[in-house]
Amino acid sequence: MKASDSTPTTSLLPLTTAWLALVALTLISLGLGQWFHGAPWLPLLVAAIVWIKGTLVAREFIESRLTHPFISRVLTGFIAFTPIALVLTAFFGGQFARWATL
Amino acid sequence: MTATALPALELPPALASKGRIPGNKGIWVGICCEFVEFLVLFVVYFVARAHFPESFEAGAERLSRVAGTVITLLMVTSSFFIACSVATMRAGQRRRSIGWLIAGLVVALGYPVAKYLEISWNLAHGINGESGIFFTVYYYLTFNHLVHATWGILGMLWVLVRHLSGGYTVEDHDGLEALASYWHATDIIWLVIFPFFYVLA
Repeated sequence: MKASDSTPTTSLLPLTTAWLALVALTLISLGLGQWFHGAPWLPLLVAAIVWIKGTLVAREFIESRLTHPFISRVLTGFIAFTPIALVLTAFFGGQFARWATL
Repeated sequence: MTATALPALELPPALASKGRIPGNKGIWVGICCEFVEFLVLFVVYFVARAHFPESFEAGAERLSRVAGTVITLLMVTSSFFIACSVATMRAGQRRRSIGWLIAGLVVALGYPVAKYLEISWNLAHGINGESGIFFTVYYYLTFNHLVHATWGILGMLWVLVRHLSGGYTVEDHDGLEALASYWHATDIIWLVIFPFFYVLA
């Protein structure tokens, strides 16, 4: 393991790279909504982008790889919830609606 | 950028083996509560979306995608600046750390301004909380996030005052890192909300 993997960063380079990636993914998301309106696979792509963006913030800004396992797991779980729910709702929305009806 | 010039911050072996707690335990209790609160709201979103797919597909078309994108860019940029403030503080560059923190605060203040303009635009286009299920969910989720962001902005002001008065050192800047953790968590939540209302249609 490199020293940079096991110690909190003092370098701005990984932070800048992560920020540029976040900006690029945000602009791509904006285009996706306009170009592929109604496409059945759009929720899959959006789910992937949400997961990548959340993971980038957790990994590079919060440095989740160095955190206590509980914090790392909370972040992983929270970030994974929405992409999974997006995909399930997109493909099994009707079934989910029946289960969630009072 | 400055990777070779700055000394790496070494962790005590006992702490390194268990993993770090960025900031302090208290802020992570708060962040966990924040996550649970928004998870409940996300479940409500998905239940509503599953019941009224047509309303949700049509609703996003009526909102201002520009406003959603601007807020997202403000959030990720502010989060980046705050992360830079922590990194430069660790490197012992106090003045630069304060500079990044001020930049993060200024950009973060753009969020309530952008939200105000968005709500004004919505109202001018006849969109309010009673315009349908999509907009009801949109208003309570985004307003709730704005409230949480406001706590973060107030926290930035407090941390800035502490920072300017010399409250943080290379060895002890837990308050700054606690604020950064909260703001990054609030950023992650917005990154989830953004596609709910502005991308998926």
